[in-house]
Amino acid sequence: MAKSLQILVWGVVSLLGALALGAIALHRGEQINAMWLVVAAFCTYAVGYRFYSKFISAKVLALDAKRATPAERLEDGRDFVPTNKWVVFGHHFAAIAGPGPLVGPVLAAQFGYLPGTLWILAGAVFGGCVQDFVILLFSVRRDGKSLTEMAREEIGIVGGFVAYAAVISIIVILLAVASLIVVNALKASPWAVFTIAMTIPIALLMGLYLRRLRPGKVLEVSFLGFILVMLAIWGGQWVSQTPAVAPWFTLTASTLAVVIIIYGFFASALPVWLLLAPRDYLSTFVKLGTIGLLAIGIIALRPTLHMPPLTRFIDGSGPIFAGSIFPFAFITIACGAISGFHSLISSGTTPKLIRRELETRMVGYGAMMAESMVAIMATIAACVLQPGIYFAINSPAGVVGQSPETASATISGWGFPVTAAGMHALAQAVGEQTLFNRTGGAPAFAVGMAHIFSSSLGGQAVMAIWYHFAIMFEALFILTVLDAGTRVGRFMVQDALGHVWKPLGRTGWYPSILATSALIVAAWGSFLWQGVKDPLGGINSLWPLFGICNQLLATVALCVATTIIVKMGKARYSPVTLVPLTWLVSVTFTASWQKMFDPNPRIGFLAHARQLASSVAPSHEISRLIFNDRLDAVVTGVLVCMVTLILLESAFLWVSVLSGRMQVKVKEAPFVPTRFAAEEQG
Amino acid sequence: MRASRLEPSERSTAGRCSAGQPGAAVPTWLIATATLLLSTLREIFDESAYSRFLARHEMDSCPSAYAAFLREQERNKARLPKCC
Repeated sequence: MAKSLQILVWGVVSLLGALALGAIALHRGEQINAMWLVVAAFCTYAVGYRFYSKFISAKVLALDAKRATPAERLEDGRDFVPTNKWVVFGHHFAAIAGPGPLVGPVLAAQFGYLPGTLWILAGAVFGGCVQDFVILLFSVRRDGKSLTEMAREEIGIVGGFVAYAAVISIIVILLAVASLIVVNALKASPWAVFTIAMTIPIALLMGLYLRRLRPGKVLEVSFLGFILVMLAIWGGQWVSQTPAVAPWFTLTASTLAVVIIIYGFFASALPVWLLLAPRDYLSTFVKLGTIGLLAIGIIALRPTLHMPPLTRFIDGSGPIFAGSIFPFAFITIACGAISGFHSLISSGTTPKLIRRELETRMVGYGAMMAESMVAIMATIAACVLQPGIYFAINSPAGVVGQSPETASATISGWGFPVTAAGMHALAQAVGEQTLFNRTGGAPAFAVGMAHIFSSSLGGQAVMAIWYHFAIMFEALFILTVLDAGTRVGRFMVQDALGHVWKPLGRTGWYPSILATSALIVAAWGSFLWQGVKDPLGGINSLWPLFGICNQLLATVALCVATTIIVKMGKARYSPVTLVPLTWLVSVTFTASWQKMFDPNPRIGFLAHARQLASSVAPSHEISRLIFNDRLDAVVTGVLVCMVTLILLESAFLWVSVLSGRMQVKVKEAPFVPTRFAAEEQG
Repeated sequence: MRASRLEPSERSTAGRCSAGQPGAAVPTWLIATATLLLSTLREIFDESAYSRFLARHEMDSCPSAYAAFLREQERNKARLPKCC
């Protein structure tokens, strides 16, 4: 393309993006169409990819087209396999896309659509995409080493230990929060409980089918599993409408929590092929299909956003979670903007599949842009709801009141009209008994998604089916995270305990499997139980804790990246990772400080504990809530201290290198020329 | 065997179709896209990994071969966290 034409095209894209961003930022007092968000996102990603990621590729990382990757050098047909870049892109996206980019933006919509949208776009282009890209490339240049290994080698022993501790902490908190979202989505819903319960025998059946009848035909069995799940959704309607059966599947939050804890234990201890792998396949199948369907739905139907750009809750008095935009919007939305968890994937399977160094840009930077787009879609799904309905679904009873009438009056008093009768009608339309106090984000996302689809595909008549499809999709998604996370946590604990007593490290020794599974399940189960018993719905305290953990892990990843860039002799380009690192440190440390010490009991753990201790008569229940608050404060404090250590160790290293006091070399694998370059030229 | 670059069979199919002869029933780009999509799905759903396993061990697909593949996979797959 001629240079002048390129300039013209990119000028138009930039102008269109600026126009769309202006429209979503400056419209006041009138509703806007969701397409403004979509256009703003596409243009921002396009410009970010074309210019910023190219700058990073060329100047900072100096991607080398002639250098062989570990997939080529160490090719073994098993772990290291040179793979087509689009295939790796799809594989990487499927691995990084989880429930986070769907739930976080829904919760953050309490501030209005504007803060979340701007953070998702800026956070992804300057933070998340950069983190995923550089960690992927650095892992590729180190034979596919993991983040914890790179932290130990490039920063030091403290760095390696902190990375390990941060990973296991985030896994525990993530599992607790994820399971709490499932509990809140399934409680008192026989339809949803039946559908999700059926996915267990369906997964077992798939496992047996794969193992005995049609070995290796995963796509085929996933399609069959999907049909069975759709039948389960249809059957769930019958269950919910049959008085003799419905009570069996109408479970309280406490009962569901116990069931999920028991399930998590067995999922960790059972053979992978029997439950974990088929459920993972089924979940991935449904996930990719639903994300694609939602994208098509939003573009085809172009819904209107009813949520204002900014709500009154930017002052920190939000009912869903307390705290002001800074820092809480930036830890509530993690995965759609920047997520430390992605650095584990970028230094896991993906670097072992990359065929050419140049392809790390598309896979690392590009797949995160796609994930960010999923977060934009979740924002749209939440904001197409009338704000009154959105707050009625997401606000805990402890804030808005127990009865529908009280809750409606409270929410209407905030300036977001909603009626008990209207909410009852909506609940009936989606096949639920009530939609009040369904905290956690998943039910609101499901109602939003059902709202978008029911406006054309099947109309109001099938709104209940769409709603339960969305609930099934999210719960299936989350339970897969639970299965895999519990097992990964178990392995990490076994690895650590193996240093203390060797048999405990043997992954095939059943006493060790049972003991370590119980340990991990007890860790996240106790947080889940805490969330279920919390009068504020649990999400109020646990989601920020999860966000803090996730972003602290991103801090560790960016520390590793900055250290490597400095050691490469490219300190002048270190702001590429240093700026997002500084931002994340300010966000996470402020959020952590406020969660521990803020005098507002709705924000500060310790203030809440003091309030409980002074305002009510002591009881066992109150003592437990006080203990939970103090535990949350201690967990937050320990995480912050660990990350402070890695920051200090990294900063000491940077200063030593830059002042010339230390001669260091990066620990890259030696250069080997790639044969692919010659093949392509030939 | 580098099965997860486009499989030899897939590549040859694409090659035949890419000639772009007049009167070809299915557009070349459509076949190439479908091939790529299928390759991606096969990689995501471990079908390619199973094919590579069979090729590496010179085995035919059968329940015992798949069981052996799953045992090998368990070591890696079970240690992979699912992202949030």
